[in-house]
Amino acid sequence: MKPMANLDYVSLYAEMLRENNKFFLQQKMLIDSQIKASSSLFKNRFAGKDFKTEARKYLRAVGLLKP
Amino acid sequence: MKGYTLENGTVVINRDLTELDFFVKSFLDVLKKHSGFLIVSGFVSISTGRTRGTEDVDVLIPLLEYEKFKEFFDDINKHGFWCYQGNDAKEVYSYLQEMTSVRFAKKGEVFPNMEVIPVTPKRKTKWFELNHPQDIKIKNFAFKVSPFEFEILYKEIVLGSEKDIADARHLRDFFKDILKNEKFKEFEKIIRLEL
Repeated sequence: MKPMANLDYVSLYAEMLRENNKFFLQQKMLIDSQIKASSSLFKNRFAGKDFKTEARKYLRAVGLLKP
Repeated sequence: MKGYTLENGTVVINRDLTELDFFVKSFLDVLKKHSGFLIVSGFVSISTGRTRGTEDVDVLIPLLEYEKFKEFFDDINKHGFWCYQGNDAKEVYSYLQEMTSVRFAKKGEVFPNMEVIPVTPKRKTKWFELNHPQDIKIKNFAFKVSPFEFEILYKEIVLGSEKDIADARHLRDFFKDILKNEKFKEFEKIIRLEL
């Protein structure tokens, strides 16, 4: 039997979601946890400093803002 | 219950709102008072069930006159957002004039961000998308996205990364009951103009 590739899982999950909306619950958990983790990471990283200044330094360093 | 239903041309996704939806909704609630808009790219797939993270949500807007943009900029600041590119409307507007996108996040946060992409009729494919919206609704969150056939082809033909191909596959399978072959043919001609 041929093993499933990543795209096969994407298709399978999309089909399951189409037929049964209870599978959206897992998606919500993943997205919500990602946002909470990101928020917590940057709040800790820039704690006690000027947020925008530090955030812009970080964004320049990762290429999301022009130098 | 099915994952989505179709109500008078609007695709209603049958799920609860996520933190990402609340973020996008709070931005669009302000933006729509000042400008037309269209959500494109990753959030189209994610909002319809693709299970992956994202740091940015892409939104097309027509290039606004400076005064209109300043009204929006001041309003979005009042509603708790900050702009990566600057604190001053004039400074940020200079990016849009150069057809460069600008990004907004919630104050005190870096991600997720809304990437605002200016569009004029010179950018033919993006202008076409902006003027051919598909309505989506999730609970009380209503927004506009590019037609699914367009989004799929754009990801497959123009973008083409592993992530984009997976997003396109998701849309093809999730919406397979409503996708139309004639739209794929029509949109492919428009998209290939960009290559």
